[in-house]
Amino acid sequence: MNPTKTDYLLLFRSDNWYDELPVEELRGVIEQNKAWFERLLAQGQAKAAQGLVRQGATVSQKRGSVTDGPFVESKEAIGGFLLLAADSFEEAMDVARSFPSLRYGTVVEVRPVAQECPSWVRLRELTEGPLASATV
Amino acid sequence: MSTEKSDYMLLFRGTNWDKELSPEQLQQVVANWYAWFERLKQEGRCSGGHPLQGEGKLVSGKKGRTVADGPFAESKEAIGGYFYLHVEDEAEAVAIAQQCPGLDYGCVVEVRPVADMCGARSRGIELTGRDAVVAGVS
Repeated sequence: MNPTKTDYLLLFRSDNWYDELPVEELRGVIEQNKAWFERLLAQGQAKAAQGLVRQGATVSQKRGSVTDGPFVESKEAIGGFLLLAADSFEEAMDVARSFPSLRYGTVVEVRPVAQECPSWVRLRELTEGPLASATV
Repeated sequence: MSTEKSDYMLLFRGTNWDKELSPEQLQQVVANWYAWFERLKQEGRCSGGHPLQGEGKLVSGKKGRTVADGPFAESKEAIGGYFYLHVEDEAEAVAIAQQCPGLDYGCVVEVRPVADMCGARSRGIELTGRDAVVAGVS
């Protein structure tokens, strides 16, 4: 493990673009995606990745309120994620730009993993004051 | 293992629900959240999770030439973190989601089953009767 690396979460957002593709084209893009992912694994960049089923539930505000399905409309729903270890944000962006399914309309959201929960950071700022947090 | 476990992802939506809380409330909810995460890990029902930083980028278009500032949705809906769960079924995943300490303050939890394989690959098998991918990318 390289301690200087930072984790980034890549979230893949798309509709079911693959429903419209002819078989041969579909097979091609599956193989490209597979090669892309295996290269990231071999280079030690990919730490975990999974697709998500386009079903599920959303639990909100008042305890017990449960609705079926992903949170947003299908075009924007998250279809999968990749946890990436990279030296910089730019490196994570390069990985996102090289994702083969971008040409079918997928949007890749690149988010740095927080070392500390942002709520915790805010609490420390509130309770220790600006002088204390400025010295961190 | 006596029963098959399934993987679920909890996506915590909302990156500003904590902004109106008093320091005491914030301390309580953050402490409860950490305790909840540790308990789920000890029980073997959660294998990991991360908070996410508030910023990010969105990459789209051919060769990823289009880059916009992220996160994807407005702060009420943006993803602020996730847990990765191993549970019996969706009911158990939803029951865990209902324990989220942020719910009372407006955090929304999306519960999503993890796919055995990506949707494209699954459709490829349906269409052709065979798998384009032999060794498992999912």
